[in-house]
Amino acid sequence: MIKYHKVSKVYSRQDKAVLKDINLEIQEREFVTLVGYSGAGKSTLLKMIYAEERPTSGDVYFYKTKINKLSRRKLPKHRQQIGTVFQDYKLLPQKNVWQNVAFAMEVAGKSEEEIAEDVPQIIDIVGLKNKSHKYPEELSGGEQQKVALARALVNRPKILVADEPTGNLDPISTWEIMQLLLKINEYGTTVVLATHDKDVVNRIARRVISMDKGKIIKDDAHGRYCI
Amino acid sequence: MWLQIKRTIKFAINNIAHNYWLAIATIGSIAIALFIINVQIANLMANNLLLEDIQNKVNISVYLKPEVNDEAGREIARKIESYPEVEKVNYVSKEEAFEKFKKDTANNQVLQEALDEVGDNPLGITLNVKARNSEDYPKINEKIKQDTFQDKIESINYEEYKGIISNLNEEIRSSQKITIILAVILSLIAVLITFSTITITIYTHRKEIEIMKLVGGSNFFVSAPFVWEGIIYGVIAAVISTAASYGYLQYIIKNSSDGSLLSLSSARFIKQFLETYLIRNWAIIILSQLLAGIFLGVTSSLISIRKYLKI
Repeated sequence: MIKYHKVSKVYSRQDKAVLKDINLEIQEREFVTLVGYSGAGKSTLLKMIYAEERPTSGDVYFYKTKINKLSRRKLPKHRQQIGTVFQDYKLLPQKNVWQNVAFAMEVAGKSEEEIAEDVPQIIDIVGLKNKSHKYPEELSGGEQQKVALARALVNRPKILVADEPTGNLDPISTWEIMQLLLKINEYGTTVVLATHDKDVVNRIARRVISMDKGKIIKDDAHGRYCI
Repeated sequence: MWLQIKRTIKFAINNIAHNYWLAIATIGSIAIALFIINVQIANLMANNLLLEDIQNKVNISVYLKPEVNDEAGREIARKIESYPEVEKVNYVSKEEAFEKFKKDTANNQVLQEALDEVGDNPLGITLNVKARNSEDYPKINEKIKQDTFQDKIESINYEEYKGIISNLNEEIRSSQKITIILAVILSLIAVLITFSTITITIYTHRKEIEIMKLVGGSNFFVSAPFVWEGIIYGVIAAVISTAASYGYLQYIIKNSSDGSLLSLSSARFIKQFLETYLIRNWAIIILSQLLAGIFLGVTSSLISIRKYLKI
């Protein structure tokens, strides 16, 4: 589904390679964890999936399309197939839970009927049924991340990219989010998770890709955190 | 598509409501620019009407000496009429001139008595010369003065008109220049102010824009709200400036009293301008106001979007 072929990334300003000759394949319905220290290149690798970054050399494929060759015009359609969640949630403070989730559908051009049908469903799935009229500031960190997750999923993406989604959360919330990610994965969505939370990685025991200094140093099908 | 347009307009209105003081300042500055441009153009058009009016009335009157007879008078008229600058020469014989004079002075006792005293017709032939173009009067004046029949001329009344015509020509030319310069400067200022307002809007909504892009909002969807914002500013400003210009011109008509050249053009001819030109062409005028407003608004948005939205 996702394929990195000889991908390198050099930032011209720093003249330092962030990614060095990455070759990696991610299959449909897989749950992949990317681990490594800060600066190992996890985020850059993820950003290439939703075309926020482009490789300096090499290609990144989404099925048969080269993501790095997508024109600006085709980019939005590509991004609608990808859900994203981040450490900082990226919610709109002046919109409530319902509106934040609906926003993604509005932007994607979905009809009002579809929005009215899908938004409550997804809010229910992430367990915020009773809080859909609350504003982000009235929610806990874990709840905010659930809203972000609902927003990422509401357009039914084929793949969910999660960059340190539990970085700001307490262990209980972290575990709730992880269970949601696993559930989403069971429903058929590919999940790519970058984290440096050792417990999380060890408990879920899925494919673990370890990165260091821009290189993949280990790729285990049922791995443990071992850096 | 319609849904997307509706949504982007909704976003634009939210953006404006969110920062309404800025919106008021922006609309105000576009409206003031349009208003001043309007008043300048109205003044210019009124001056043109005034000039046209004077041009139609103005001619050079050549008074021949009383001893010049009818035959010689007609010969001189033919000669003047043969100048390329001259449209026509109106020949007024001694008798016609005398009749006209008597009529004009009918209630002036002293002049009537003086005429009776003289008994004879003391007036000469008058030639009213009309130019094709009002700017040619000085030339015609010079030509007449230097022609072979100059010794038969009593006087030429050109000098009285000379001032008015050249003043007016000058006034129109300089006000044309001022109008253009003002229009350019004010439009630039309006564009700059709108540009900064929209830049601020983009800045305050950068998170929203980031998320829009992240969840796959099309370039149209991301940028359209800011274009709408510019259009909305332009339209509201155009409506305000049209109303303000109309009110201001009406005010001038009602309140100008002194008979100076400027107020003559500002009052009588602005009135004429309003009544004939504006009322007959109201649709075109309102449309052009809207287009000018929209043009200013959209230009500013596009500059801002290009610079800060990176689309």
